[in-house]
Amino acid sequence: MNNRLSTWLILGLTLTFLIGPFLIIIAAALSAGNNLAFPPQGLSLKWFIKVFETDSFRASFGVSMFLAIGGTFCALCLGVPAAYAMTRFKVPGAEMVKMIVSSPIIVPGIIVGLALLRYFVIPLGVGIGPALFLAHTALVLPYAVRVVSASMENLRADMEEAALLLGCTRFGAFRRIVLPNIRGGILAAFILGFVTSFNQVPVSLFLSGPGLRTLPIDMIAYMEINYDPSVAALSALLAFMSIGIIFAAERFIGLSRYV
Amino acid sequence: MSDYVSLQNLTLAYGKTIAVEGLNLGIAKGELITLLGPSGCGKTTTMRAIAGLLTPKSGKISIDGRDVTRLAPSKREVGLVFQSYALFPHLSVFENVAFGLRLRREADLDAKVMAGLETVGLTDFASRQPADLSGGQQQRVSLARSLVMQPKVLLLDEPLSNLDARLRLEMRSELQRVQKDTGITMVFVTHDQSEALALADRIVLMRDGAIEQIGNPEDLYNAPVSGFAADFMGFETILPNDTGPGGLAWRPGAVQIGTGPHSGQIRGASFAGEHWEYVLASPLGDIKVDVPKGQERFEIGQQVAFDLPRSAAVPLARVD
Repeated sequence: MNNRLSTWLILGLTLTFLIGPFLIIIAAALSAGNNLAFPPQGLSLKWFIKVFETDSFRASFGVSMFLAIGGTFCALCLGVPAAYAMTRFKVPGAEMVKMIVSSPIIVPGIIVGLALLRYFVIPLGVGIGPALFLAHTALVLPYAVRVVSASMENLRADMEEAALLLGCTRFGAFRRIVLPNIRGGILAAFILGFVTSFNQVPVSLFLSGPGLRTLPIDMIAYMEINYDPSVAALSALLAFMSIGIIFAAERFIGLSRYV
Repeated sequence: MSDYVSLQNLTLAYGKTIAVEGLNLGIAKGELITLLGPSGCGKTTTMRAIAGLLTPKSGKISIDGRDVTRLAPSKREVGLVFQSYALFPHLSVFENVAFGLRLRREADLDAKVMAGLETVGLTDFASRQPADLSGGQQQRVSLARSLVMQPKVLLLDEPLSNLDARLRLEMRSELQRVQKDTGITMVFVTHDQSEALALADRIVLMRDGAIEQIGNPEDLYNAPVSGFAADFMGFETILPNDTGPGGLAWRPGAVQIGTGPHSGQIRGASFAGEHWEYVLASPLGDIKVDVPKGQERFEIGQQVAFDLPRSAAVPLARVD
């Protein structure tokens, strides 16, 4: 009995620790007052409305969406063939490539961002926009390669050979046999990549400039000047979006099988 | 004779490792050939080369008068039934069988697929997914998938080895029936001599990347050329010929026990239904002996006399 009580206590504390801040943010966002505060002063939805009326939020949301979808798409275009080659053929140095590809998750974001700014953007005169796009693609690439490799490894090579003998070309066998069977892995990689890119702060911090900011960077900038609950409202909205995506992914493809 | 399938001076390699060297083989139309041998003898490699999944280092492969040595697998009109079935898990049984026909944009698709499924007795399973089928059923789908393409040659890569003993016998007779009905030329790869003996018109026994012996099942069973061939065909006692060149081989049933010039100790005794199987330790090496049931019994540890009668021995050209 005592044992059971302590189990529930630990579980309760853990959940409070994980979910507590989220609940506090929602409460703060529903405040009718003008300052970000907890407990909220009165109840209203006006800060949620304010989020949608703020031009800079709308613009930076667009930038973040574009980066998350476009960057992840590009990472998959590179990552799926790479994962295929590394699992199917005995490519010399495949392990090395896997490690290099993973380096953006190993190296701290601050360093990646600073390095890109100092040694890529400034000396080569690359625009902030393309640099940001490249950086997000690179950051997502490790997820694309790893998650897709994992689902590719379960796929036997003789299925493709069977397709070849039934009249497929090599590419045809990839398209008709490999792709449909790794669809779940690709979707899982896309969702992971999207969430990673969308919530990215440190790298984007270095590669933002006037007129071009991702949403998280814009939120930081906003908070430096205004201290109203609209940031809390925006955070709550983003959290709901992430929860929605993950929930749908779990429901339709069983995301937890892949990550 | 003009061969339907011909392999001429074929040398196959994986990188620098030579797997098959200088192989010559002709297969007649409608023939069922088995490539028999232990793992690593080059039988699967040879089959993959016929399928086009492996490009020969040198030599020539032709099918029905056409040189296919450099031709892509998809253009060879060759079917392959895999040991692992290799069904497409995302497609239904019907779509698996229809796969090749769809690529060819054939007319009367439904009728052809259903006819293919009927050949293997699976018409009721058309809408199932491969994962819902038993191993034997999956192998049948795989067979139907190849057969509906009406390939010139059907290759079968140890198709029965993942099935349990009863299913294996069932599928074996099914394959014989299909071959008889369709008259298709088959190349069947196996390491199981009883499978080869039961199915083949001709057996190609392979060893270390070369052909050891070719012949019909009776030839191989009754007159193996070498110790290796004899060993594969169930001769357990193989000794050098003490009066001439070559060697002599005895099956366990040919060895006489109870009397004779040799002596050995019973080391193992096991009951196998119609007979007892004994293992004798003797100065000639371990000798296996089968004694029909109802005859004298021997106990482990017992010292017994035995004879290797010359009249029951099969002469071998080579002992190794």
